[in-house]
Amino acid sequence: MIRTTGLVKYYGKVMALQGLDMTVPQGAIYGFIGQNGAGKTTTLRILAGLLLPDGGAAEIAGYDVVRHPRVVRGVVGYMPDFFGVYDDLRVGEYLLFYAAAYGIRGQRAARLRDDLLELVELGDKREAFVDTLSRGMQQRLCLARSLIHDPQVLLLDEPASGLDPLARVEMREILKELCRLGKTIIISSHILSELADLCTHIGMVTAGRIVREGLLHEVLAAAHRRNFIVRCYGSLAPALAVLEAWPGVEIINTTEEQVEFSLSDGPAQAAALLKEMISSGAAVIHFAETQQSLEDTFLLLAREGGEA
Amino acid sequence: MSRERDRADHTAGPPGPAGSGQTTRGDRREWLKAFLWNQWEGLRNGLVPMLGKEMRGRTRGLRSPLLLSFFLGLMSAGTVAFLWLMTDRTSQIMPQVGLNLYSLLVLGMILLLAFIAPAIAAGAISGERERRTYDLLLVTRASLTGIVLGKWLASVAYLLFLVLAALPVLAVVFLFGGVPLANMGMALVVALTTGLGYGALGLALSAILRRSQAATIVSLVLVFMLVFGSLVVAGVVSAGRQPAGDMPVPAGEPWQSVPGPPWYVYLSPLVALSPALPGMENEGLSMSGRIPLVGTLLNEILRQFRTGPEAGTYVYGYAYGPGYPGVYPGAPGRAGLPSWARFALCQGILVVISLVVSVLVIAPRKPWSVWLVSRRARARGQGGIPL
Repeated sequence: MIRTTGLVKYYGKVMALQGLDMTVPQGAIYGFIGQNGAGKTTTLRILAGLLLPDGGAAEIAGYDVVRHPRVVRGVVGYMPDFFGVYDDLRVGEYLLFYAAAYGIRGQRAARLRDDLLELVELGDKREAFVDTLSRGMQQRLCLARSLIHDPQVLLLDEPASGLDPLARVEMREILKELCRLGKTIIISSHILSELADLCTHIGMVTAGRIVREGLLHEVLAAAHRRNFIVRCYGSLAPALAVLEAWPGVEIINTTEEQVEFSLSDGPAQAAALLKEMISSGAAVIHFAETQQSLEDTFLLLAREGGEA
Repeated sequence: MSRERDRADHTAGPPGPAGSGQTTRGDRREWLKAFLWNQWEGLRNGLVPMLGKEMRGRTRGLRSPLLLSFFLGLMSAGTVAFLWLMTDRTSQIMPQVGLNLYSLLVLGMILLLAFIAPAIAAGAISGERERRTYDLLLVTRASLTGIVLGKWLASVAYLLFLVLAALPVLAVVFLFGGVPLANMGMALVVALTTGLGYGALGLALSAILRRSQAATIVSLVLVFMLVFGSLVVAGVVSAGRQPAGDMPVPAGEPWQSVPGPPWYVYLSPLVALSPALPGMENEGLSMSGRIPLVGTLLNEILRQFRTGPEAGTYVYGYAYGPGYPGVYPGAPGRAGLPSWARFALCQGILVVISLVVSVLVIAPRKPWSVWLVSRRARARGQGGIPL
């Protein structure tokens, strides 16, 4: 549905995108994860037709975003990270204005307005002035606005930023509903936990490049190096000696009390490693696997991406 | 509007050797049709909602009634003050009071419009940026031309509303008589052209400067320079080289011909007013007797230019009064254009330049870079040249 190949963008001499390759299949909720300044917003703005790439290509539904901007605009709904509202319009008028800007008028526009307000649970606010809505309501209204022309693809740039937990849950429910309706959705975020139970796919971007991409569980599994913590009674030296010699072990952190390391192989290796440590004289009092969150995975990948 | 039609996206370029390799006349006609249709759709998608929204927004809140009150208040106060000054102690009204009042009102109205128009338009595009609604607008299917035209027409519509509201104040002069309806119509045309041109200027500055405050200040300064500065410069430039203008000017003798007013005086609506004020057709803009302060100043500046209708006055070898036989010896038609028409022409050019600049400035994808990127993409598609 969406594919970018070697996307490059410069801001002056700063290279914001360094050959970004990304593939989003149809019907996916694609979590676009990266730190601030990694290039998420730039990528989304290129896809929305607001920026021209300096190199590479991006296509949505088979249309190149540079050569077919009009078609792409009809296919894409875009919600920027920061946006404003017209303070002198009512909620219903606001949606009708954008409907007309997409060429939708008359009865159809009025029906769409009512349906969308229902979807984002703002049906009772139709006559309210837009600037009297809360931040969460404005976010939902903006989402309704981006849906007004029934786009196949939604580009949401940090849709949950500035929302309280309840509003976040509401936003998440709406997005799941949209996914059921068959929309392809890209959500960018630096708050990873909000994406963990929502996305089907994930793309991790660091310094203008995708470092890992694919189905959520696959990415997590691939990146999931089993991390362990070992504590010993007395000296850690014998345990450390074993660890350093063991293939597939990467020591992450060593303090006076404990060693944290990752192991690339399965549980059988872990058991063998523990046995070896004990037989080498280490007084192991704690040997446990740590739970790795999406954040940890991302940090790990970001570190790998930075070194690469 | 069908998706099929959209597929013939004009940015992809017409079908030609770079495309399929085989081009028929029918293909090109189809492409042209789709192109024109897309342009029309974009224009409509921008113009109609933007015009509606802007007019709705402008008429809401306190700003609009306050501005209207300010405008009408100033004009009414001017009328009352003038009548009070011109009526002597015996409460007799001199015969020329009506004409003088009319001159003052028209001048006042046009000066007010000249400064209100850019002030209204100066927030139009920068306001979208400041409110962060700009991107939301650009991702729609509205064309930039439609958006800019909608913004401009909305501010113009508001000016039209101001002019209409001022008509009752202007109608006071009919109590005194002496003002032909045609002249008043001409004055209204000049007033509207002033608003159209300076409004477009304000819009362009709003797009360029990105901040409403800066755009407002700069546009007011620029309008001040156009209204008064152009006349002052013209006066200073020509003062040194032109003899006093009341002598008969021999026609057909190029070495004696006087230079005409430079083109830039027609940027000022004050020059355009000279034929719109009755009784000046044969005198140029001599308002010294009517509006003491402004008239004297203007008279001093414009004395040398006498921008009344010129045609025909120099046929018999000598031109008396406001003729400029040597001005455009090769182009009698152009020489015959009355000054309000020249002003309208200048404003028209100002509008076109301002609107084109606005569209180019707000374009997120400048046409030339789209062309470059498109060309590179096409080259890569054909020859595998890496970007």
